[in-house]
Amino acid sequence: MTINKRSLITLGVLAIVTYAVYYFFTRRGITYIWHWERIPEMLFYYGGKSAEDAVPRVRMGILMMGFVLTLKISIASIFFAIIIGTVVGITRLSHEPVTRALSLGYVELIRNTPLLVQIYIIYFFVGSMLRLSAFAAGTAALSIFAGAYVGEIVRAGIQSIHKGQMEASRSLGMGYAQAMRHIILPQAFKRIIPPLAGQFISLVKDSSLVSVIALADLMFQGQQAVARTYYAFEIYFTVAFLYLVMTFTLSMATQYIERRLAISD
Amino acid sequence: MIRVRNVYKTFKTPDRKEVKALVDFSTDIKKGEVVVIIGPSGSGKSTFLRCLNRLEEIDSGEIFIDGVNIYDKKVNINEIREEIGMVFQLFNLFPHKTVLENVTLAQMVVRKRNKEEALEVSRGLLHKVGILEKENVYPAQLSGGQQQRVAIARALAMHPKIMMFDEATSALDPEMIGEVLDVMKTLAREGMTMVVVTHEMGFAREVSDRVVFMDEGQIVEEGTAEHFFSNPVHERTKLFLSQIL
Repeated sequence: MTINKRSLITLGVLAIVTYAVYYFFTRRGITYIWHWERIPEMLFYYGGKSAEDAVPRVRMGILMMGFVLTLKISIASIFFAIIIGTVVGITRLSHEPVTRALSLGYVELIRNTPLLVQIYIIYFFVGSMLRLSAFAAGTAALSIFAGAYVGEIVRAGIQSIHKGQMEASRSLGMGYAQAMRHIILPQAFKRIIPPLAGQFISLVKDSSLVSVIALADLMFQGQQAVARTYYAFEIYFTVAFLYLVMTFTLSMATQYIERRLAISD
Repeated sequence: MIRVRNVYKTFKTPDRKEVKALVDFSTDIKKGEVVVIIGPSGSGKSTFLRCLNRLEEIDSGEIFIDGVNIYDKKVNINEIREEIGMVFQLFNLFPHKTVLENVTLAQMVVRKRNKEEALEVSRGLLHKVGILEKENVYPAQLSGGQQQRVAIARALAMHPKIMMFDEATSALDPEMIGEVLDVMKTLAREGMTMVVVTHEMGFAREVSDRVVFMDEGQIVEEGTAEHFFSNPVHERTKLFLSQIL
């Protein structure tokens, strides 16, 4: 992906805002001695890890380890949320009243309870029954949560496709599933990329909540680092910036996909 | 080939009124026959077409295609639909697929032809409808007349026994109607069984075997195109013809 003019402008604006915040802090009488020099080692450092593994080499620092875990859980959750969302979106429009009611029930239940509560329930209750790891429980909670929203987005996308598309497919002898797969869903997905991107960006940020089940994600590691060093300002700014790197990349990637798919317009 | 017996079909409007689209409707269409259906809007002519491939469910009655009752629960309707090509007023091409993919897709997915075979059939038909040079463009880049010709090629690619046209030229600019009608006339002369809902009386006169005038869900009058031009019997027919001619 080439870095275009628009993304450069966006980055420029972000830099100005960051500097303004920094200026506000340094000139408004808060006597704080910044320790930015301690941040790089939290990302990468050169040295041994422990007595057993003392060979010096470039290793990930605490924040970078959190970054990688957040990245993993976000990618896994986005993957499962798409699958859940597609199933929910299609079943929401089913002719079968029971199927329709079940998927509506799922959507309402998930959307109307706090994610934090869901994470606790899935980790402590479902997780201990099924012996899930914290990572699996966290991924499940985030996927189930985002899946409900994605389901509604997919449903809206399917409904936005002119009914003539389904009729044309069916009149050619395609079954309902074939028409969905080849004709309706590809067009619907193209149309719902912008709201999906928003949903996935939310998911990356919401993943910070899994720190409550002691999953060592970016937020959790940030808290650990603060507890150890008391450099709360520097660390949380860095944590915020690392989240921004992920969400901004995601944002750029979806815009790129959107442009690619626009060729048939 | 098509036998329609005592079909009733009602619609419910959003304000819960019942609209009778087909009332005790019966007719027969023979193999190779070209039937033109005319009538005022809301007379049930499009509904009749859509019932022939079960895009609508009927309230009662029977429709047989090649002796098979298509409203029988045991019938696999997809197999019936393979044999009936349909062309829509608004084309309904697949906008995310190129012209060639539009024509090829159902052949591979439904007819299970391999890619080479499907491409060969597609190119032959695109040549026939005079649009082969546009095979790699997307529908949005074509004129209405070109899109409708692609839609005809897409339907023909299934090698159907019957072709249905639902006001295929009504959404076209006047200068493009001719190119679509020409394709339809060619088909008719080749002996395709055709059921055509249209207001194009010139088409009816040139190639139709029978014209059916419908109003309020029933056949009011039927006969050759000449009959309709020279001596229509019913008052409603006369009134309608005076409005469209």
